[in-house]
Amino acid sequence: MKVLYVMLPITLLLGFSFVATFIWITLKGQYDDLDTPAHRILIPEEIPKYPKE
Amino acid sequence: MQTVVQTMQSTTYRADCIHCGNPIPSARKNSFCCRGCETVYQLLQTRGLSTYYELKKKGRSIRKSIPAQESPQKTEENPFQYLDDPEFLRLYSTLATATSERTMQFYLDGVHCAACVWLTEKVSDFVLGVQAVRLDLANSVATVKIKSTGSFGEIAQEFSRLGYRPHPVKQDNLNALKKRDERIMLVQLAIAGAVTGNIMLLAVSLYSGLTGPLAEQFKWISFFLFLPIFFFSAIPFYRGAWGALRAKQVSIDIPIVLGILLGTVMSVANLITGSDHVYFDSLAALVFLLLASRYVLRRAQQNALNASNLIHFLTPSIARVKNENGEFQELSLNLLKVGDQVEVRAGECIPIDGMVAQGQSMLNCSLLTGESQLQKVEPGEIVFAGTVNQQTPLLISVTQSGTQTRLGKILHSMEEHLNRRAPIVAFADRVSKAFVTVVIVFVGVVFFGGLYVFGGNWHQALNPALALAIVTCPCAFALATPLAMSSSVARCAKNGILLKGGDILEKLSQVSTVFLDKTGTLTHGRFEVLSWTGDSQETRSAVFALEAESNHPVAKAIVRYLEDQGIRPEIIPAVENFQETLGKGVSGKVAGHFYEIARFNDTLDSQESQAKSNTSHSSQIETQIGVLCNGQLISKITLGDRIREDAQPGLHALASLGLQLKILSGDSNLAVNSTAAQLGISLSDTFAEKTPEQKSEIVIKEPHALMVGDGANDAVALASAYVGLAVHSGMEVSMRAADSYLFSPGVLPIHRLIIVSRETMKVIHRNFIFSLAYNIIGGVAAILGKVDPLFAAILMPLSAFTVLISSMAGTSRLREVFTEEVK
Repeated sequence: MKVLYVMLPITLLLGFSFVATFIWITLKGQYDDLDTPAHRILIPEEIPKYPKE
Repeated sequence: MQTVVQTMQSTTYRADCIHCGNPIPSARKNSFCCRGCETVYQLLQTRGLSTYYELKKKGRSIRKSIPAQESPQKTEENPFQYLDDPEFLRLYSTLATATSERTMQFYLDGVHCAACVWLTEKVSDFVLGVQAVRLDLANSVATVKIKSTGSFGEIAQEFSRLGYRPHPVKQDNLNALKKRDERIMLVQLAIAGAVTGNIMLLAVSLYSGLTGPLAEQFKWISFFLFLPIFFFSAIPFYRGAWGALRAKQVSIDIPIVLGILLGTVMSVANLITGSDHVYFDSLAALVFLLLASRYVLRRAQQNALNASNLIHFLTPSIARVKNENGEFQELSLNLLKVGDQVEVRAGECIPIDGMVAQGQSMLNCSLLTGESQLQKVEPGEIVFAGTVNQQTPLLISVTQSGTQTRLGKILHSMEEHLNRRAPIVAFADRVSKAFVTVVIVFVGVVFFGGLYVFGGNWHQALNPALALAIVTCPCAFALATPLAMSSSVARCAKNGILLKGGDILEKLSQVSTVFLDKTGTLTHGRFEVLSWTGDSQETRSAVFALEAESNHPVAKAIVRYLEDQGIRPEIIPAVENFQETLGKGVSGKVAGHFYEIARFNDTLDSQESQAKSNTSHSSQIETQIGVLCNGQLISKITLGDRIREDAQPGLHALASLGLQLKILSGDSNLAVNSTAAQLGISLSDTFAEKTPEQKSEIVIKEPHALMVGDGANDAVALASAYVGLAVHSGMEVSMRAADSYLFSPGVLPIHRLIIVSRETMKVIHRNFIFSLAYNIIGGVAAILGKVDPLFAAILMPLSAFTVLISSMAGTSRLREVFTEEVK
């Protein structure tokens, strides 16, 4: 069971990094609006007829 | 009652409106439910924006769609010009100094689906100078960013043309703080979730029998993982408990904190002494579940809170004032002096109390007094803020402004009533008070009993006492009310009913008497053509041509009616010698014939008119219009404030719930009594000609009264009633006074709301029974000394889960009510 002494810290570290990422994006406002993006995905992307100059 | 509704719908409505999907009243002869929707449809077609309708089919609607708002006036001038006033920009917009871009937020009435998102954001493509528009659908708030060359006025006008009435949102610290709070809440929840998951992984091996040094290390790791929960995620509970203690009150947070503290202390003590019982996993799960339920509740109430914030976007306080040079200048209301002369155009709301200095017109006072008939004003007469000028421009000299106006005083009195209203002691609070007391008493009894049994060994006595405190920690109990309420509040919001808080549901379930305002609530609140005799195609187009020239509400009603009947503005003949006589009617030459359209009494010789007035007293509540062609009476039109289609079945349904129905109106005795008679409400339950203050006095006398109303004249009554329900109208005042708000007018939604409130209370009671049952089982086990961490770890989530399922399922009646209406 010695492998646990390697695996456990790695697991915790991985877990910690995800939590840290989540905190970061939350504070940047990614989760301020949870409803609109679900609807926005239905809107087709528009391809401009003429390339921009 | 269901059959009543269905038959009503099958006779009155045909297919659904192309634009908004609402039923089309049978009076209309095309595929739109109203003129607003038709205009918007045509606008979208001409702009090549028909993708809107394709998107609409694909997407799911997050709330009930409402018919498009008709743009207020067909004047050339933009009514939203004030948005670009420097003073207004300073208060309502933010400026990015580097790019000189300005940002302003608008609350948009009626956005409800993906197609609305697309349409509002598309606006940046065809209004010059607009950088970007971003819509937050859940909150109905659009953030508009413009370049230094752009104009907020133009974009607001565009929103309004598309059928979404814009209200600028004031930028203040409150919103920023709220946003920050929400983000921190989410972070606390995230940390609690991650930590709980990890601790549980470790706990599983401990439960399945891990022993030896590895078990010790696992316990230590869970301890360190638990620290962020203890010191960060659980902060809201500490705060809540501390607040309650300081206010010398009992709240559900106190037993939660007690459980967390005792559990942590006991687990740490056992960890150090090396004994078996550590409860970190149960405690972590407890905090996580409670945080999650509070987050869900908060999000569900978001919409409701935003509606109450509408006060921030009350109609802007700007008036057109005549200066020394005789020119008109827009000024903030605060700067007005007594004696200043203010111009109010047709269709505008009068911003001050004053005396008419110049001009004659008709005023609509219904929002202030509830009167459905228009009032004629002439120079020298007193007019009040909050009334709407209907016909021709008026010059008014100011006598009172701001809080000194009659409207201001009504508002002030409403605020007082709002503050005075006693907070209800919610059922949940009462139960939790009893519960907390019982738990504390039991813990004490078990401890001292143990002390006696074990002969003074305090360590042995403490163990069952602490186990009792932890296992009876009211996790499920704390979830019982918020989960049930948030699910109902959220589903109500989707159905066009906003509730300003969960406790409103409890109050609504206790309502025994319903007071209904007449104008605008039971009726449409505007003139409609009721009957038309002796018409031909020729007459109709002539009438249309003449009335289209006038701004009078009667003329507008006739034009609206004719448009519904399929008369197109393109085919109407030209008018010569058009003349409008105030308070009488219009005349002019159309296609070689001289037409006069005027009030009935004026078009007839006195004999006939007298015979008419003898036969019925309807002349005061209905307006009779006659059409004369070359001096010959050819057509009779009757107009009046029509009763809503769903008023009769709605009142029926309410009465069948055992509620007492009463009409409370500021309108004349005659008009109110006739409405009451048509709706089958006895005269003893009908109150007419009441001032706003009298209304409030009547409502206060009933202990469990629900007041339903729409105008400023109802605001005081809405605020002083046990529960106030405001109906959609132009007056945001009433929304502020009320506890709940109907997006779509009508009587049937009130019935639905009452059922929802009663059923929600049933769910809450059921949840309490479940959670108390679990707590009793846990408590008995703890006293018997059978509670080990495994028992706690199973019992706690299980009880919470039961309550969650019970809340989501609701009752069968509740599901029925919600599916009935969702489209």
